[in-house]
Amino acid sequence: MGTTIKIPEPASPFPGLGVENAQGLLQWISAVDHKIIGIMYLVTSVVFIVLGGVLALLMRIQLAVPMNHFLHPEAFNQFFTMHGTTMIFFVAMPAIFGYAVYFIPLMIGANEMAFPRLNAFGFWMTLFGGLLLYFSFVAGGAPDAGWFNYAPLNEKNYSFNHGIDYFSMGLLVSGIGSVVTSVNIIVTVLHYRIRGMALNKLPLFVWMIFVNSFLLLAAFPALNAALAMLLLDRELNAHFFNTANGGSALLWQHLFWIFGHPEVYIVILPAFGIFSEVFQVFSRKAIFGYAFVAASSVAIALLSFGVWAHHMFAVGFSNTVNSFFGASSMLIAIPTGVKIFNWIATMWGGKIHFTVSMLFAISFLIEFTIGGLTGVAFAMYPIDWQLTDTYYVVAHFHYVFIGGVVTGLLAGLFYWFPKITGKHLDEKAGRWFFWLFVIGFNGTFLIQHVLGMIGMPRRVYTYPNLPWYEVLNFISTVFSFVMGLSILLLVFIMRKAMRHGAPAGPDPWNAYTLEWATRTSPPPLKNFDDLPAVTGRRAWWDMKQSATTGTSQQASADAPQQPPTNPQPPTNPQPPTDPHPPTDPHPQNKNNDTI
Amino acid sequence: MEDPQSFQAEHINRLFNQFNIAAAGILLLVLFLVIYVTTKFRRRQGDDSEGAPITGNRRVETLMIGFPTVLLAWFFYKTLAVSAAVMPPVQASRQPDVIITGHQFWWEVSYPRPTGSPGPASSIGSSGAGSTSNSSSSANSSGPANSSGLPGSPSPASSADYVITANEVHLPVGRTLLLELRSADVVHDWWVPQLGNKMDLVPGNKNYLWVTIRRPGDYIGACSEFCGQEHAWMRIRVVAQQPQDFDRWLDSNARDAAPPTDDLARQGEALFLTRTCAGCHRIRGTPAIGAAGPDLTHLGNRSTILTGLLTTSEEDLTKWINHPQEIKQGSYMPDFMFGKDSLRAIAHYLEQLK
Amino acid sequence: MTQSENRTMMQAVVYTEAFFFLCLIMSYIYLAYSTGFEPHDLSRLDIGTSGINTALLILSSFTLHLAERGYGRGNTRALKAWLIITLILGAIFLIGQGREYVKLIQDKITLESSVFGASFFTLTGFHGLHVFIGLVILSIMLTLAFLGDFNRPVATATAPADTAPTATAPADTAPAAQPAGSESPGPSASAGWQTDSASPAQPGGGALGTVAIYWHFVDIVWIVVFTVVYVLPQFTNI
Repeated sequence: MGTTIKIPEPASPFPGLGVENAQGLLQWISAVDHKIIGIMYLVTSVVFIVLGGVLALLMRIQLAVPMNHFLHPEAFNQFFTMHGTTMIFFVAMPAIFGYAVYFIPLMIGANEMAFPRLNAFGFWMTLFGGLLLYFSFVAGGAPDAGWFNYAPLNEKNYSFNHGIDYFSMGLLVSGIGSVVTSVNIIVTVLHYRIRGMALNKLPLFVWMIFVNSFLLLAAFPALNAALAMLLLDRELNAHFFNTANGGSALLWQHLFWIFGHPEVYIVILPAFGIFSEVFQVFSRKAIFGYAFVAASSVAIALLSFGVWAHHMFAVGFSNTVNSFFGASSMLIAIPTGVKIFNWIATMWGGKIHFTVSMLFAISFLIEFTIGGLTGVAFAMYPIDWQLTDTYYVVAHFHYVFIGGVVTGLLAGLFYWFPKITGKHLDEKAGRWFFWLFVIGFNGTFLIQHVLGMIGMPRRVYTYPNLPWYEVLNFISTVFSFVMGLSILLLVFIMRKAMRHGAPAGPDPWNAYTLEWATRTSPPPLKNFDDLPAVTGRRAWWDMKQSATTGTSQQASADAPQQPPTNPQPPTNPQPPTDPHPPTDPHPQNKNNDTI
Repeated sequence: MEDPQSFQAEHINRLFNQFNIAAAGILLLVLFLVIYVTTKFRRRQGDDSEGAPITGNRRVETLMIGFPTVLLAWFFYKTLAVSAAVMPPVQASRQPDVIITGHQFWWEVSYPRPTGSPGPASSIGSSGAGSTSNSSSSANSSGPANSSGLPGSPSPASSADYVITANEVHLPVGRTLLLELRSADVVHDWWVPQLGNKMDLVPGNKNYLWVTIRRPGDYIGACSEFCGQEHAWMRIRVVAQQPQDFDRWLDSNARDAAPPTDDLARQGEALFLTRTCAGCHRIRGTPAIGAAGPDLTHLGNRSTILTGLLTTSEEDLTKWINHPQEIKQGSYMPDFMFGKDSLRAIAHYLEQLK
Repeated sequence: MTQSENRTMMQAVVYTEAFFFLCLIMSYIYLAYSTGFEPHDLSRLDIGTSGINTALLILSSFTLHLAERGYGRGNTRALKAWLIITLILGAIFLIGQGREYVKLIQDKITLESSVFGASFFTLTGFHGLHVFIGLVILSIMLTLAFLGDFNRPVATATAPADTAPTATAPADTAPAAQPAGSESPGPSASAGWQTDSASPAQPGGGALGTVAIYWHFVDIVWIVVFTVVYVLPQFTNI
């Protein structure tokens, strides 16, 4: 049936970066290769983290001293709404999807995602959602009701400008992108694994993303339904959340948090996956308790749907309802604690390499423990009655999001940057970055616990000069700039690495998983030509081992800067023991069904 | 939590302290393990070998799961106990002692007068059935003194009997009080840290909160659920008084506003009633019966306006009436065009409303 | 693997859609117990007509199944006939919904009028939208059937040409072992370990099965919606 649409195919792994290529941009826009889409996701995330970070610093300036007039109250309210929304939906999510679509096919030994075009569609929806959200700034005012946007404050009679309409549509659009990408990931993992890679042999990063995708598919519909109702309220005068006309203020909260709490795990589980890889490679040991780490993710995913009302302990439920949600929220601490201790046990008996990536992973253990423990405090709902919606909450979730998610993304960045670009990030400058970041982060947020305990509510654009308020806020502001500075340094480090970074080689860390098995870094457009069947959980390690013993003339197995011990030299001395006739173990895109 | 001053805050504080000790223990354990592991198993220079081939240990895993489970079960039990003490269910027959209504961005405070009681004062804090569990669980610490045992009456007082004020909430110490929380517009949240737990004010719902204050004093708090542009200036001031002082205050505030005594004040009253002010504000004893803004009947008795942003001095009142939208931008009070003299007259009138 | 990627994809879509409708239904029930819900609005609903509509929609699931069965036996005529009947039944359902809407709007029950109106129109509207999408997809299937895509065995020559994404044809690599999909004479020649089990016998059968998953799902959702909105109020006092 007819015409073939001609799409310019990228001619190199980094099309358009060189000036000689006049068609560069078009190749990025038309790309369907999972690696290019992954990079675009990551770049999107970096752009938005700068935007969201600038908003945060502006807020910190406003809060540095009491009774400050640096920002207009309305501007402050728009900024914290946009900061939260940006960081969750347009920094954390794109970064996670970036790593996921880049590395899942590589880690399972596939050459593509199951639906490459759907993959591109998902990315562009995410990006356009973000642009739609930010367009509100020039269209009469950004959303100003907080990222959870409580009813009835989000209704037209309390929020007059179009900010919340853009908020709703932006999140709907990017939500569709997230959903299709998750579908794509599920199909890819189920159908495109290399021979021998049973589900219980998946690398933990893939496993976490896989579980995560099911979680996301179940959580986002609640947000989409709530946003659809909100849009109907705002545009067509329905009364779902309009209390003046019989609607319910609490329905919004229920729907939002049925989405919102799983969302917290949606962004943290992939970070757990990254840490699981990093701890293994840089401790030179297999993960401790693979089954427990994997199963605890499933437990977290399931439990996360029974805990949403712990965001609503103060709305006036009976003690019975509160105790149910308190108990389920406490239970989540168990699988999370299991993970923390399993990672520590993974390092036990290892040979720990203190790379920057590993440093981030180790700092995560402590920071996330703090964030997790304060989280348990909230599950004990009488404590929550005191501390919810104060700076204690702000401190808590920044410890989870920055100490957990962002730290995970950074560990992943230092771990995978050589694979994505072929260049090493400067480890020495990276250490500077690490310490600046950790000091800035802890300095900013550790004292905010105290601010919350002495009674400072969150989301206030200013505060009266009460005892301790000024000094604590001022310290927090100073350290937030240290953190801002560290991000600048990171951008500088990345730029330097792209230009004159040391060449990485295909397998600089002597790693365990298959993304390092490609012939080059960055991987060629066709990831793999041929791979033997997988036998264990550390697929690439096993292949290297069997090659070493097989040809028995390999050099040291652990030499980061040397060319890797490739078990399949181009001459292919030992053909894979493959019972199946087809030469290609991962046939691509057989969706020949006429649909 | 800082310096608890109520029965409820004390209970929560105790739980929080216990939890913090356990949490500090766990954090120290993790810290110790991380430091130990990272020093002991650091790679030596030139050592490129692999780590020990350990992939798991059932016993360790069991410990990892079992220990937190036991600890959490214990804290869950404590949680149940504290929540039962702090938030006992409210019997249908129990009348609230204070009704607090959240508005963008101020608090309306009204004191209902149960029918059959001689005056508004003595019945405040009457012991309903719901508060008994409070007293029993705090027997050792001078528990709530429920003085006049008048049973709450189901028939509500007519609104004319209410004492209505704003932002500064006077409460008697020593009595177990039931606060009823409502919202006139969006979700707000009542929180005075030293007096215990917070509670949302949800439009369309009525929420209840128990509070038994220990000592007289000024306690500050703030709206803790983001409620719009001026959420930051929706602060709370609770004035806790000895019961007899409180009763005196209530009696004096139950009276109508005293008529102005000097000329400037009389001029101010006339302006107040003829210009738009009376459309939104009430001053009992005058034709001003607006309900959109705070009740001003005894404004001079309060120490601050705008939930603490300015004082009730004539100077501050002048400043505010002159340019509301400059001082509190999100408030619903519009800018007016008053002459200097009119401003002074209105401010003077309001200031002397004691 | 025993099934095609497309079926897995559709199952994942159905999984997420199920949560979407669950949220809408739970919201409807939540609002039904809230103060703004007018019970007498419910009495305007016509359970009789809607009941017949429901029966027709359920019937359409069976007819689609018969279409699949017929196709499984290689009977493309049966396939076309049953597809047409399925389409007609779906269309009748949509028209019936439209009539219900018109009647309610004439009774001044609209999206704006009450909480009931808002939740009723939103819930049934989203379902109606899904039925409509289903009808569009079924029409495409029917068109393909008439174009001969489901005939065997020649269908394979036409199908893969433009459906295989070009993504896997990188310009600079691809020396020898290109993935089987784009050049193979048919799906049956692909590597066996992940081939759609239906494919060798049924060209295009995967597509039909995929669409059927969606259509059955839309039916099941309606059964729940009908139970909650029309049937339960007869027995409870909301």
